[in-house]
Amino acid sequence: MQEYEFTLKFNFPDPSHTPESYLDNLALAGCDDALIGIGQQGRIALNFNREAESALSALYSAIEQIKSVIPDAQLIEATPDFVGLSDIAEVVGYSRQNIRKLMLNNQASFPPPIHEGSSALWHLATVLDWLKEGKGYAIDDSLRDLAKATMQLNLAKESFKLDPVINAKFNAVLS
Amino acid sequence: MPRKSHPKQEIEDALRYAESHGWRVDVGGSHAWGKIYCPYNDKECRCGEFCIASIWSTPKNAGNHAKQIKRVVDNCSTRKKPDNEE
Repeated sequence: MQEYEFTLKFNFPDPSHTPESYLDNLALAGCDDALIGIGQQGRIALNFNREAESALSALYSAIEQIKSVIPDAQLIEATPDFVGLSDIAEVVGYSRQNIRKLMLNNQASFPPPIHEGSSALWHLATVLDWLKEGKGYAIDDSLRDLAKATMQLNLAKESFKLDPVINAKFNAVLS
Repeated sequence: MPRKSHPKQEIEDALRYAESHGWRVDVGGSHAWGKIYCPYNDKECRCGEFCIASIWSTPKNAGNHAKQIKRVVDNCSTRKKPDNEE
């Protein structure tokens, strides 16, 4: 068994739902290993420290339990996945300057961001893989597993928005 | 009158840590022992959902629950540091 620390954020389609009303049932469903944030109307966030066989089963069981209590809850984001430079630094325990330097000195091989603008965003999993395999940094395997699993989860959640016809067209040209 | 202490010492320590950073602790609930309230529950606050966090009376693991509480308090106080994003 391995412990995984992650956060899941959900919203309720009906914003009049008070997140507080679900607390007791979430405890009964098994979410008593999470700190639950109820500070925003129509939303709930759960910060888990969950023991499981794998990151995937930790995420899966958590969502299953939450959905059993709040069937219409919609996943907003699973973390850690989308990260900026400061987040990366915090996760691996280096300074932001250090990570920034590493990126600038390795522009050819550093994973390209998924968004570049006033700030840049990466999938944490791609950066951890690069740090470990490309640079030999000591990166916790369970953290890598978790980041891969949260990325898959966030992608799966977004895929509901795909239009099947347009998606098939883009797939053909992208692959 | 001082508030009721949490039965788990580690969690009580984390609650005092929260209080020392200006958080308010309210006792009440069933599975939920109480709640903590961020002192900066406003538009600029970065805690978001965790501006109000629910504290279990008997969490699965008291040590982890204490860590979770401290994490929320520490994440909140990051707003106090200068923002160094480019």
